[in-house]
Amino acid sequence: MTTDTSPTPSAPTGSASHPSRQSEATAEARQRSTDAPAPETIPQWLHRSSALRYTVILAFLLVFTFLSVKAPGFLTLSNFVNILVNNFTILAIVSLGMTLVLLTGGIDLSVGTAMDVGSLLFISLISAHQNFLVAICGGLAGALATGAFNAFLIGGLRIAPFLATLGTLFIGESVQQLATNGGQPIYLITGTLAPAFIYIGHGSFFGVPFPLSLAVGLTVIYYLLTERTSFGRNTVALGANPSVAWYSGARVRYTSALVYLLSAVTCGVAGIILSATIKAYVPLSGNAYLLDAIGATFIGTTLHSEGRPSVIGTTLGVLLLSIVTNGLLLIGWNFYWQQVGTGVLIFFVLATSFLGRRFRR
Amino acid sequence: MTDEGNGQNRESPKEPAREGSVGLMEPPVATTKGDGPPINGALLLRAGSLMGFVLVIAYFALVAPGFLSVGNITNVLEQSAILGVLSFGMTIVMIAGGSNVITGGIDLSIANNLGLSAAVYAILLKTGQPDIVALSLTLLTGLAVGLLNAIAVVSIGILPLIATLTVMNICAGFELVITQNTVLQASSPLLAVLAGDGPFGIATLAYLLLIIGLILIAVIEYTPFGLRLYAVGGFREAALAAGLSVNRYIATSYILSGICASIGAVLSVALLSGSSTGSGDMLLSVVVTALLGVVFSRRLVPTISGSLLSVLFIGFLINGFQLTNISSYWVNGVEGLLILFAVATTSLVRRREA
Repeated sequence: MTTDTSPTPSAPTGSASHPSRQSEATAEARQRSTDAPAPETIPQWLHRSSALRYTVILAFLLVFTFLSVKAPGFLTLSNFVNILVNNFTILAIVSLGMTLVLLTGGIDLSVGTAMDVGSLLFISLISAHQNFLVAICGGLAGALATGAFNAFLIGGLRIAPFLATLGTLFIGESVQQLATNGGQPIYLITGTLAPAFIYIGHGSFFGVPFPLSLAVGLTVIYYLLTERTSFGRNTVALGANPSVAWYSGARVRYTSALVYLLSAVTCGVAGIILSATIKAYVPLSGNAYLLDAIGATFIGTTLHSEGRPSVIGTTLGVLLLSIVTNGLLLIGWNFYWQQVGTGVLIFFVLATSFLGRRFRR
Repeated sequence: MTDEGNGQNRESPKEPAREGSVGLMEPPVATTKGDGPPINGALLLRAGSLMGFVLVIAYFALVAPGFLSVGNITNVLEQSAILGVLSFGMTIVMIAGGSNVITGGIDLSIANNLGLSAAVYAILLKTGQPDIVALSLTLLTGLAVGLLNAIAVVSIGILPLIATLTVMNICAGFELVITQNTVLQASSPLLAVLAGDGPFGIATLAYLLLIIGLILIAVIEYTPFGLRLYAVGGFREAALAAGLSVNRYIATSYILSGICASIGAVLSVALLSGSSTGSGDMLLSVVVTALLGVVFSRRLVPTISGSLLSVLFIGFLINGFQLTNISSYWVNGVEGLLILFAVATTSLVRRREA
């Protein structure tokens, strides 16, 4: 087979010189995915009956009605603001990165690591009395470094994303433990903080809390990126069928590397916002968002007409999870039962999502 | 342009491209590993890994006095028992699920299943249940979690990676509900035996690790059942064509993994004389040892003996760190690097051969 020597990504047909080919790639990939019985390795979310979407919407409505009746104070404006600020914001930002990665058919288990590293550097620089902007850049650079490591492993060494990001996750844990003497949180002294620091955690932007408006802004950017740019079309093509994407001239390795960089930076933003909100860095706190981000993205896939991850679907998924967490709290379930509750909910959503494609087989 | 034409000829639905894939699809190893002469790359890798093992041990033996004493070796075996049993479970799932990382077999819930089972065991003993009741309910817990994984993966068809990740969180939630995030002390006659010393003053857990390992090596590597398990994981379609009930074998692998987790739970309660929080942290080590076991095997597939070797390797490594006063915070990082090493080298060797 010649397969082993030929495939350097630059070798075939530089996509830069044939911009129109990229949309063909996507079209071709979509065409393939709808006609042919797919090889097993194609992300199977492409093959599902769209009737399934209504099941999830129905579940959403049921949960909502149940909580409105059962949970005192659930249906109030202040509670919705509370949901959006406390439950929605951070998870929404993290899930954006996860959506992009899942779109390409990969997975990023190190989203929490990128958050933590971003938060660690940000808070360390602030507590070392550095300029606020320097601290922000430091935090983002730390997150970027995690992403670059992933990109090198996945785009460069072609290690499977699951294992590459798992390795990053654990190296990240080690780094954090070494940096914090085994996991000591870093707290900031409240009196000495710069106004800008207070603003990104608790300020308001035209009447909307700053973290929330940032999340909304990033969501819009991600929406435009995935739905309206050639890069977005490349990611979709890559997720639909990497080989078709490659033969069609999409820069497969470049795209897949870039996706992990973007995901990490986005998670770094989430980490900075989180640590600005709680005015502290708590080691290994980011991993709590991992499953929820995956869950939200998969809830999103059930809402999309092609059944692939999408920014809007993911945002709705995050909203559903936030509402459930908040509602269970109002009903009086403690944190431990909430974890069981959301876990079971995600399980059922995944089951519905994957059962759908069973029926089409 | 020529490349494109060439490509379309080459492309068959059963074998999607491997170039430029984001690792979504591993090279199809099934074709190369069934038969044929032993492969040079694999042999080299295996020899190199064994050499690495020996070198690490030799280094610590030189640097840390008492590293190779019987007492210390027993100590390593005892400390590795829990990890070993979990690693065996993970290995069985990986054997039956195949080597593709995304669609292949993996059980991420195994460490939290241990936590949950340990919590069940500890709380039952605490409420005064006799050993036999507590033990059987603990094994049932592990089995139930394994069954849930099996249903999710086989009947519903959720990707194993995502299915077991979700089950992992459900287990963690239930564990917290039971223990309220505290350590439950437990003691019983059985635990006293397990925590004590066996013949020749060597810890019972050390014996158990070797006995369970040997039994599983016999079952997985030397029986028709084991062979079929490899067949199912190695080439699903061929196994189906040969008349194996593939789904049943995959389901069995998850259930066995669940049982391994609950056995590990009993050992862990014995070693720590109670349940402990944070058992989920073991997941990495389990994944590492199961993957690292691949480089110790002849045909670069997961094997129980390979996993046992890598469990001992990690055990000696951690022990050596302790004896030479290297901070234990390095352990996670080293394990992360070992994963990447194992995966990068095996996929490189496989790609060469494909």
